[in-house]
Amino acid sequence: MAQVIDLLSWAALLGGGFFYVVGAIGLNRMPDIFTRMHAVSVSETLGVGLMTLGMLLQAGFTLVAVKLIIIVLVMWATGAVATHALARAALHDGEKPLLADATGALVPTDPVSLFPELGVRLATPLQSEVVEEPVENGVPEDAETLAGEGYGAEEEGANPDAEEPDSAGKEGR
Amino acid sequence: MMFAAAIIAVLIALTLAVARALAGPTAFDRLLAANNIGTSAIMLLALFGFMTGRPEFLDIGITYVLLNMIGTLAVLKFFRYGALGHAQDLDRDPG
Repeated sequence: MAQVIDLLSWAALLGGGFFYVVGAIGLNRMPDIFTRMHAVSVSETLGVGLMTLGMLLQAGFTLVAVKLIIIVLVMWATGAVATHALARAALHDGEKPLLADATGALVPTDPVSLFPELGVRLATPLQSEVVEEPVENGVPEDAETLAGEGYGAEEEGANPDAEEPDSAGKEGR
Repeated sequence: MMFAAAIIAVLIALTLAVARALAGPTAFDRLLAANNIGTSAIMLLALFGFMTGRPEFLDIGITYVLLNMIGTLAVLKFFRYGALGHAQDLDRDPG
């Protein structure tokens, strides 16, 4: 029985190491950032998962196994989130994916030309950018906003302009 | 022995990721490679703990998993917005 478990553990660890190295080779060989992300996701799901399976078989039903499962579950969840955020940041920064044209050559292609709705999303300011606008306008307007929100209702009647930045921020959301 | 084989594989991958982090043309390439280096460090910790018969290293591994995620998101936010956040933004938009 122990030999069977050892054999399975060997297979899982070697398979995990194989996929891990394959992902790292892809990280070096792939032509642009988006395909590199694709390569790394291989090593971060299949490689890590198989190597953890190999260690789980050696650990048996112990607290160590629970910790291993915690590590691999967190890594699977956060790896997807980090990859998504990385792709989004790269797109917003103007990275153009390499796509094949009619002749088969790889050319940097603007994704908006393929998916017009993506252009709408990229052109629309994000929530945080809308919120940051009052900060860029300088100190006086911030002071007015604070006065309108906190320091008494009598100023709102006297100075109707004080509400202007606040309502604009709410519409932006 | 089997853990040593897996450690060698992870070390090879780590070297390749360092090469990409040094060569990467954009900041996103370097960040992707840095994330992969962090993952490799976690797997090295776990495998080394099993190889030496001291799986207590896994506790450090759990910490590294969380730090890896937070570090990546923090650097991404810095590149996207040019700042890690202001006190006013935190009041209005905690996301």
